[in-house]
Amino acid sequence: MKMMTYKDRVVPILRVADYLLVPIQIDLDDSTVGRLQKQLMEEIERTRARAVILDVRMVEVIDSYISYTLSETAAMARLMGCRTILCGIQPPVALTLAQMGVVLQELVVARDLEHALVLASLS
Amino acid sequence: MVGEKIETLLESPAHEFDVVVRIAREEDIAVARQMAKQLAQETGFSLADVTKIATAVSELARNIYRYAKEGRIMIRKRLEDRDGPCIEVIAADRGPGISDVELVLTRGYTTYERSLGIGLSGVKRLMDSFEIYSEVGKGTVVITEKRRRKF
Amino acid sequence: MDTGQVTGIVGKLSAESRQRDLWRQFLEAALAGSQDEKATSGMAEALRSLLEELGEKEVADRIIDIGKEEPSFPVTDMLRAVVEISGEMRRENETTLKQLRQMLSELATPIIRIWKDMLLVAMIGNIDSQRAQDIAERLLHRVSSSRAKVVLVDVTGVPMIDTVVGGFLIEMFNAIKFLGAEVILTGIKPEVAHTLVKLGVDFRMVSIARDLEDALRKGIAITMEERNRRKQLALSLAGNEAGESGEDDDL
Repeated sequence: MKMMTYKDRVVPILRVADYLLVPIQIDLDDSTVGRLQKQLMEEIERTRARAVILDVRMVEVIDSYISYTLSETAAMARLMGCRTILCGIQPPVALTLAQMGVVLQELVVARDLEHALVLASLS
Repeated sequence: MVGEKIETLLESPAHEFDVVVRIAREEDIAVARQMAKQLAQETGFSLADVTKIATAVSELARNIYRYAKEGRIMIRKRLEDRDGPCIEVIAADRGPGISDVELVLTRGYTTYERSLGIGLSGVKRLMDSFEIYSEVGKGTVVITEKRRRKF
Repeated sequence: MDTGQVTGIVGKLSAESRQRDLWRQFLEAALAGSQDEKATSGMAEALRSLLEELGEKEVADRIIDIGKEEPSFPVTDMLRAVVEISGEMRRENETTLKQLRQMLSELATPIIRIWKDMLLVAMIGNIDSQRAQDIAERLLHRVSSSRAKVVLVDVTGVPMIDTVVGGFLIEMFNAIKFLGAEVILTGIKPEVAHTLVKLGVDFRMVSIARDLEDALRKGIAITMEERNRRKQLALSLAGNEAGESGEDDDL
């Protein structure tokens, strides 16, 4: 796998202890999802993180495609020995996902960052 | 019959709608979603319902982009309806069409690798009314509405 | 037409002096025509009171009778005024009704902060699609703003849970879980339990408590456990050098 160049990086990834924190502020579409996943897997490999926290506080709409890409990313992380925790789902988004009948496979949901860290430390 | 309906809708003048978004590139999905959100907000929907409408539009736009490559999303508000204010969303394309509409509406059905297969059934659950017309080789039209709640 | 004639007509319209006054005011204003602004507003006021007391049909019938008797009255204009004022009154009623409904929905489903990090929502009465969505929206907003860890849902006051209501509850529970909070359900009566199982609704995504006391105990256990874990985490992060190294991996 070729290492990513600076401009291939689509999200900021912050490291907190053994965990990676990823605030999602971009529109997750076909072109960016691939880059996000590549960047994240490289970062997991490099830091040997125990868990990834995906923060979706800024995401106003999560449709079935976006929720699928999040689960897909979590499945990839799991294969690398890393748990994925989703945090910051906004109330309107939660109601929408529930009404559509979406199941967030592979993901653990946390209330806020602190809760996410607690859940991450359990793994 | 379905072919005519698709042509009529795709040729319908833009002024009949509040928003018309041509879907041809992936970025257009975000545009359609954003426009839907704004219109629903103007119509006085609750934040949760605004999000539901924007999500439904996102699903419809993504279906066009994926399966038909090109099509239109048309949205209009209807304030004078007997049952109260309402938003109507129409998605139309001249794509390959769907041979078994019932099957597509089954939760979990998908022909696309990156999907949960709840796209259209999700739209149906989020909106108050849902109609779909499709013919293989002609295209697909989805007409859907959401009414503003009384309180 | 002079005052005497109007008095004559008014006398036939009602035996009550108050209603007679209202009719007189209305008829005189109608005769004065729409140019007179003061008369128009007086007419609206009198008409409104008459409509409130007699109803649209009664008022309209009498206006038609007057027209038959005295063709000099502008019956069309008068009826148009009746329609206008009735419409105005209906819109006002609708607004009041809307406010009352809103108030009722809030009163019928109180959301109480019963313990630290814990909310209690008591559902009372029949639940339909509109109410269910309203409850879900208010509750989710509250859970998010209060950062509640646990939501106790008491359905003792819900007389019947069918597939539709069951479906709404499942959606609401899943939505609460998407926020990262836990749901404890209590108050399911024997007959409701019977129906739910027959309908295939099992509420497997939430914990179920025997009664409110049991629910509260379970809820407190959850909040305590998380608080302890937070403490442990804080200690381990403080002792962890990697946590202080200030990584510059961000974009």
